[in-house]
Amino acid sequence: MQRDHIWWQTARVVVLGGFLAFAIFPLYWIVITSLKGQKEIFSLPIRYWPDEVTLLNYVEIFRISHFQVYIWNSFLVSLFASALVVVIAMLGGYVLARFSFRGKREVMFGFLVTQMIPIFIGMAPLYVMMSKMHILNSLFSLILIYTVMLIPFCTIIMSGFFQRIPNALEEAAMMDGCSRISALFRVIVPIMLPGIAATFIFAFVQCWNELIMAVLFIDEESVKTIPVAMNAFIKKYDIEWGAMSAATVLSVIPTMLLFAFCQKYLVEGLTQGAVKG
Amino acid sequence: MGVRSWIFAALQVSIATALLVGCSQPAANSGQAQPDGAKEQAGQEVRLKMVESITSPQRTALLKEMLTQFEAKNPGIKVDLISPPFEGADQKITQMLMAKEELDVLEVREFNAKQFSMNGFIENLKPYTEKWSNYDQLTDVAKRRATWVDNTPYYIPNGLYQRVLYYRADWFKEAGIEAPKTWAELLAAGKKMTDPAKNRYGYSFRGGPTGWDYALIAMWAYNGTEVDPSSAFFLKDGRTLFSTPESLEAMRYYKQLYKEISPPDSVSWGFQEMVQGFVAGSTAMLIQDPDVIDGAKEKMQEGTWATAPLPIGPSGVAQQVVGGPGWGMTAYSKHKPEAWKLIEFLSDPEQSTHFAKKTSVIPVVKSAAEDEFYKTGYFQPFIEMNQQPQTFIDVSRPVDYKGWGAWQSAADKEIQSYLLDQLSAEDLLKKWDEYWTKERAERK
Amino acid sequence: MQTEKPIVVTKEPFVSPPKKPFRLSKEGAFICLCLLPAVLFVGIFTYYPLLRGIIMSFQNYTLFNLLDVRFIGLDNFFAVLTSPEFPRVALNSFYWVAVSLFFQLLFGFALALFMRRRFRGRGIYQAFVFFPWAMSGFLIGLIWRWMFNAQFGVINDLLVKSGLIAAPIPFLADGKWALAAVIIANIWYGVAFFAIMILAALQSIPEELYEAAAMDGAGRIQQFWSVTLPYILPTMLVTILLRVIWILNFPDIIYAMTNGGPAGSTHIFATYMIDKVIFGQDYGQASAVGVIIVLLLLVFTVFYVKATRMEKGGDF
Repeated sequence: MQRDHIWWQTARVVVLGGFLAFAIFPLYWIVITSLKGQKEIFSLPIRYWPDEVTLLNYVEIFRISHFQVYIWNSFLVSLFASALVVVIAMLGGYVLARFSFRGKREVMFGFLVTQMIPIFIGMAPLYVMMSKMHILNSLFSLILIYTVMLIPFCTIIMSGFFQRIPNALEEAAMMDGCSRISALFRVIVPIMLPGIAATFIFAFVQCWNELIMAVLFIDEESVKTIPVAMNAFIKKYDIEWGAMSAATVLSVIPTMLLFAFCQKYLVEGLTQGAVKG
Repeated sequence: MGVRSWIFAALQVSIATALLVGCSQPAANSGQAQPDGAKEQAGQEVRLKMVESITSPQRTALLKEMLTQFEAKNPGIKVDLISPPFEGADQKITQMLMAKEELDVLEVREFNAKQFSMNGFIENLKPYTEKWSNYDQLTDVAKRRATWVDNTPYYIPNGLYQRVLYYRADWFKEAGIEAPKTWAELLAAGKKMTDPAKNRYGYSFRGGPTGWDYALIAMWAYNGTEVDPSSAFFLKDGRTLFSTPESLEAMRYYKQLYKEISPPDSVSWGFQEMVQGFVAGSTAMLIQDPDVIDGAKEKMQEGTWATAPLPIGPSGVAQQVVGGPGWGMTAYSKHKPEAWKLIEFLSDPEQSTHFAKKTSVIPVVKSAAEDEFYKTGYFQPFIEMNQQPQTFIDVSRPVDYKGWGAWQSAADKEIQSYLLDQLSAEDLLKKWDEYWTKERAERK
Repeated sequence: MQTEKPIVVTKEPFVSPPKKPFRLSKEGAFICLCLLPAVLFVGIFTYYPLLRGIIMSFQNYTLFNLLDVRFIGLDNFFAVLTSPEFPRVALNSFYWVAVSLFFQLLFGFALALFMRRRFRGRGIYQAFVFFPWAMSGFLIGLIWRWMFNAQFGVINDLLVKSGLIAAPIPFLADGKWALAAVIIANIWYGVAFFAIMILAALQSIPEELYEAAAMDGAGRIQQFWSVTLPYILPTMLVTILLRVIWILNFPDIIYAMTNGGPAGSTHIFATYMIDKVIFGQDYGQASAVGVIIVLLLLVFTVFYVKATRMEKGGDF
């Protein structure tokens, strides 16, 4: 590839640097706030570095709530829902990519339409359904609903990945006597691993952050997820900014780690299916 | 598709359904069978479900403590407390009631009491209160709250939310003035305190969610004793509150409050911002409920702030809506006697005063007026106000009208438009006047 | 396009493979089996509640009196469409989607373009610039609301300190600023998604294409127009469609930042709908707003797909 012009490199540094500042500033602000004492958070002039760095806010959230429980619940829900979504989306995406059949268009269209439905429209009926199934206040209800919410998008993404993989590969495996399903898992899945990882990360992050359904379905301490618990820091007269920012930092760490370690897969995986989206 | 494929498809559906049901079964068992099973074993153990609305971590902890005591006193009863986050708690409770989700005791708010009773969600407590000796221990205001809807006790209040003036004692001392007693004095004092360059303003204005409440306080104070206390959007002569020249004057005054002595962005302030503005030292005055005392104690220096009675209007009186959430019972509860036992326990004068103190609200029982905790210090103005019911009049909003919800949702926007000079005071009041005249006519 | 067409795909999507027309073959069974979980889940837990919601939109369904639920035809739709707020809500929705989308795309594109070539620390860089996307909308709204605060907000403080403005601007108190503020927060959130998708697409461009273009004497800018853009266009089109749908249906940030205020100046359809439920307590009208959202998006999608000829691409 050609060498870069100096202006190109300058532009690159400016754009990348500028955007980093834009992206990171709110994060910086949350971290700083989480390290400030109660009084300092609301003192003027605004401090860009705490006069006194304190971890009290972090201690406080573990004292007034079972934050470790919420983290564990969020982790369980996100893990199981994402895993379930990936499996279901893989099967669905595979047939959508490989076969032509009656109703295929309708299925695709039906998936696309789900993205257009405002979450609030079906909320009341959904609550009644969950109530009748007696699964309110269980992690299972969240795993179920998150899976449902993520299936359409993930299936479409997955079908894009499959389209990028030559059919010849599994044909060859099937010639060798593999069934279609075992060809899928033995031959195709290993190649698609980055794509699967990307889908998994996407799903995981969505589950990790979901608030509306979690607030709707969950009341009990033992099954609360992080967003529900954080919502409780908004009180009648007061947003507990100290606790809120400390909780935000804690809740963002896992997703950031996931990003840092798996970002390679995220982009690489999507690269596989990129053209088809 | 042929017949075979239909059979095949049907098979698939049934397998999948079985899977679904199979998965949900364990949860169903833990939710239902457990209490039933326990019932058979222990003979009569009952599991009550209870939900609170004005949730905060501290309040939840306090309630749990009280529930433990209750369970110790009543061995056969166990209580599960549900504490939805404050934001959206009432929404959630409504959702539970609509779905007839298992629930026995719930926190009813004054604005949803009518709705709940109308839809048959909550139980008339009359049969219980008649036999309850402590009912007469409730203060008059508390009793009025209990019987807010149709003169029927639908819930027992757990604390009163009424407003007082919070002010920066140190700034007032510096300026050499007293705490304002009237709305006119408040404006004058506010002007002295306001200095945008120093990021100081006179007043923590409420322009955001339910800001209409503050506009009403001003209008009531200007209209004085003409206002019908039992339905305060109307006057005693049947006209609406919004039809008088006094209301127009009040709205003009209200805009002055905003434009001259309040931070510009307070047009969108909600509870949190207005309290934040005050405790963080940006505003000199704040009109708010008693539970702010707790937060202010925590965040402000002792001696820099104080409380005073609500300012009165040109008419010499000040009206307010005393909020009184309380414990009610669902109409479909399967354990009504036990549910009442719990409400009775929580409403016991001793328990209820303890609860009020800890949550920093005004107690609902008469004996509390003698309590040192309330007779002195930050709470004193509340008691002072309650001892002058002729000056500080308790009024009701027309929450029992059909058009209440729609009015409420539009009113904030309309007041904001007015404050931002997009709508004239005359047009605003005319609109409301027409709306409520029509509401009243339709109701009869 | 560069994708290998799967062998079985035929041009006519409504026709089954001609070999086994009217019997559920082994293959047909396989298709059903694989799609069943997805279709079943989505059908039961998305479409059934939606259906109930649609029914509600034709009913008098207010919390004030649930004993009086009855069909009232199109009354809810009339009430919503003729309400004085409606034109503004529609206009706001348009700005919200168009402006957010434009800048998300612009920044996302620039970011992806500059990130395409490896540099030291790209992994960490990526983790940081992509992180907004890993946060919840409500939290983002709360954080920005606080940063935009006129008294304690860090944004005003920075602007005043840098001499750009003389006095703090009450961003969230003024209709125009407030809309700008919520859109800025949304841009902050959404750039990452575009950047990720476009970066992935850029990386899938075979280097040979550039080499060939360079041999033909194409400069960097020409290469961009002749190689880069055509190659990633399909990804961009799909991503844009998805984002339009998602952004219009994304009340979280606005809800947490301004709650649609001041004076309704930041309401979009999605927040307006929540407002109808929580303050208006009118499920019927709220559902009507929801149905309007879906219809708008359906119409938009059909036109978009037709205009961009995406259906030729095969996916939607």
